Amino acid sequence: MKLLMAYLVLAVISQAQRSMLRSPQDVTQGREIYNRSCTMCHGLDGAVGDRAPALGAARRYLRNSEQDLFDAIKKGIPGTAMPPSPMPDGHIWKIVGFIRSLRATASDSFVRGDAASGEKIFWGKGGCGDCHTLGGKGGLLGPDLSNTGGERSLSYLRDSLTTPRPHIPQGYRPVTVTTSDGRTIEGIIRNENNFSAQMLGQDAKLHLLTRHEIREIVYAKQSLMPSDYDKRLSPAELQDLLAFLSRQARSKGSSRQRGENRKS
Amino acid sequence: MNSTTLLLLAGFVGPAFALAQVTTEMLLKKPGDNWLSYSGSYDAQRHSPLKQIHTGNVRDLVPKWMYHIRGASRLESVPIVVDGVMYVSQPNEVYALDGRTGRLIWEYHRQPALQKGPNRGVAVYGNKVYFGTPDAHLVALDARTGNLVWEAKLAEARDGYWSPVAPLPVKGKIIIGIAPGDHGLNGFLDAYDAETGKRVWRWEAIPRPGEPGSETWSGESWKTAGGDTWLTGSYDPELNLIYWGIGNPAPDFDGDSREGDNLYTECVVALNADTGKLKWYFQFTPHDVHDWDAVEIPVLVDAPYQGRLRKLLVQANRNGFYYVLDRTTGEFLHGTPFVKLLNWATGLTKEGRPIRVPGVVPSFQGTKTCPATAGATNWMSPAFNPDTGFFYVVAQEGCGINTKSADTFRPGGHPFMATGYIESPEEPWQMHVRALELTTGKLKWDYKQIGSRRYGAGVISTAGGLIFVGDDQGVLTALEASAGKALWHFNTGQQITASPMTYSFKGKQYVALTAGSNVVAFGLHE
Repeated sequence: MKLLMAYLVLAVISQAQRSMLRSPQDVTQGREIYNRSCTMCHGLDGAVGDRAPALGAARRYLRNSEQDLFDAIKKGIPGTAMPPSPMPDGHIWKIVGFIRSLRATASDSFVRGDAASGEKIFWGKGGCGDCHTLGGKGGLLGPDLSNTGGERSLSYLRDSLTTPRPHIPQGYRPVTVTTSDGRTIEGIIRNENNFSAQMLGQDAKLHLLTRHEIREIVYAKQSLMPSDYDKRLSPAELQDLLAFLSRQARSKGSSRQRGENRKS
Repeated sequence: MNSTTLLLLAGFVGPAFALAQVTTEMLLKKPGDNWLSYSGSYDAQRHSPLKQIHTGNVRDLVPKWMYHIRGASRLESVPIVVDGVMYVSQPNEVYALDGRTGRLIWEYHRQPALQKGPNRGVAVYGNKVYFGTPDAHLVALDARTGNLVWEAKLAEARDGYWSPVAPLPVKGKIIIGIAPGDHGLNGFLDAYDAETGKRVWRWEAIPRPGEPGSETWSGESWKTAGGDTWLTGSYDPELNLIYWGIGNPAPDFDGDSREGDNLYTECVVALNADTGKLKWYFQFTPHDVHDWDAVEIPVLVDAPYQGRLRKLLVQANRNGFYYVLDRTTGEFLHGTPFVKLLNWATGLTKEGRPIRVPGVVPSFQGTKTCPATAGATNWMSPAFNPDTGFFYVVAQEGCGINTKSADTFRPGGHPFMATGYIESPEEPWQMHVRALELTTGKLKWDYKQIGSRRYGAGVISTAGGLIFVGDDQGVLTALEASAGKALWHFNTGQQITASPMTYSFKGKQYVALTAGSNVVAFGLHE
């Protein structure tokens, strides 16, 4: 029984510690401590540095758990230049919280803004729902965003709205096809090879074409996704939209779409 | 943003309206260019009027494409084809393919991906694709993108429920069944609003105390009774009746704790499509102790019977008998064995009840039982060809040694079978494709397959005079519908456990099936 009580107490402490780490103030403080103490080797704000790797880039990590991160800072990493840190444990935990926030999906992050207002913008002024499905409603030509907060980081979401994308994701390139019998079909190309093409047209129909049936196919150079939402929306509106998008997460039923999240 | 993109974007703005891809009117027709449901049409005849591929040119049939489904094995999905788009599934996953080229249009992967299988296919209605899941949900996706539209919980997955069933769309509702009865979980058939996912009705396969049929269960046995609904049924739009086969009672091999006929296990039931109310039932194996689920597909045919045109329902049952019923009333008209190895009954009464051979029940030391529990047939689809008048069925000749023991129900999805069966060493199992005369069940031809205990490959019939059937050696074979002669074959390289289908797009007929981990489509060489 005593042992059980001890376990319970430990569990409570570790729970408290973790929830403490999720508070935005701790993450902010963790960032300050990190930038003050770790940037001799690592880069500013967790970026790659002169002598040590980035901590928040989109890649696989050797150290995923909070305890692993804590131990690496506290004890150093043997065989590498990473030294043990003399910092107090509380500071180390705050750095851990900051590193975790770099890796978190938007749904795991603290995102300021009014999500209800963001929802109105999504379906209204922003025009997002014209192309994107969310919760089974909306347009078809963009990826389903019902789980975007659970899949993407906050910075990814912000960049998607405000920065031109260097690549159009596979399956979403806009095309104009002229068929061999003279029809014009506009839409996005879902898949193609040297012998056939599969399109989703703006008529919301799938078009299946062989190369014999295509006279010309014109590929648009840019995605249909606007990248100027920092101009279309006020800063507060953009933040509200991000607050709404970051909350779009579900634990199951996620659709893996072509060109999106595709591993291997 | 360049001007082209702006122009495109302007064209795209607005919600995505499009005419429904699949309507009730389309579902009322015989299969043609499209293959719209698990059995191709509501009557479940699995007979296609397509005849571009026929007995005279089937030798020129060649593979047109293959699509590999990663992580799949022994697929049981029957592809659905709508306007050239093929929808095919494995547990937790749906794929939309270009039916001419096999190229992927979209894929959907449900999380968490529980590992229960198989999945026998999807349904398409309106602009949505529907499928059942290993965690006992019915899921609706947008047919053009694979985007999730809604999901409805059928039952508690943690109780052990799941759904391998290819749903059936009927008048704006999606009909879906559940598994497994072998775990002592009571079965039901559900109807969901195709648009909203709200449940419209549920028919429970096991009557509760006081309800008609409850007198066929002794004691508390009705509580853990089985009676699942794991294979897609058929529908008569004129009578507005859904016909569905019901699974075995639990515990499967020990009937001592559940005295009585155990309704509505081992029945075909006729349910009102609007309300789910039971119109009639017919029980093939009252008080079954051999796990002979009666889920085999009820095939609906209008044909003269003893000089009068009747609405018939025929079923080749796992218990070894072929049955002819009047589907308006459920009246038993005729029944005869379609396998030679049948030792548990000497025949059927004029009401269709089996005349049992005493002692052919599972025992502690084992009892030879023919057909085996695997069944004289099983989920492999049968077909009916109106040109030949023959009913085609994949049959297994063989016996099992059936044993029983004491078993107690454990909640949480554990087998509640009271042991089981092994293949009889004296009568090893043997697969056949058989043509039966529709109203008499008389054997018209018999095509013996290599292979034994691994089965699942059913048939289709075409107006080209052909029967296509797979086998456990991975061979898809075209048989002459009139005489059962093999005219063409192709080695797919993997065991076939699903039934083929056929469709046409832009003037070309294809025959397709899932074979092992691949989808394979065939067409004429050109």
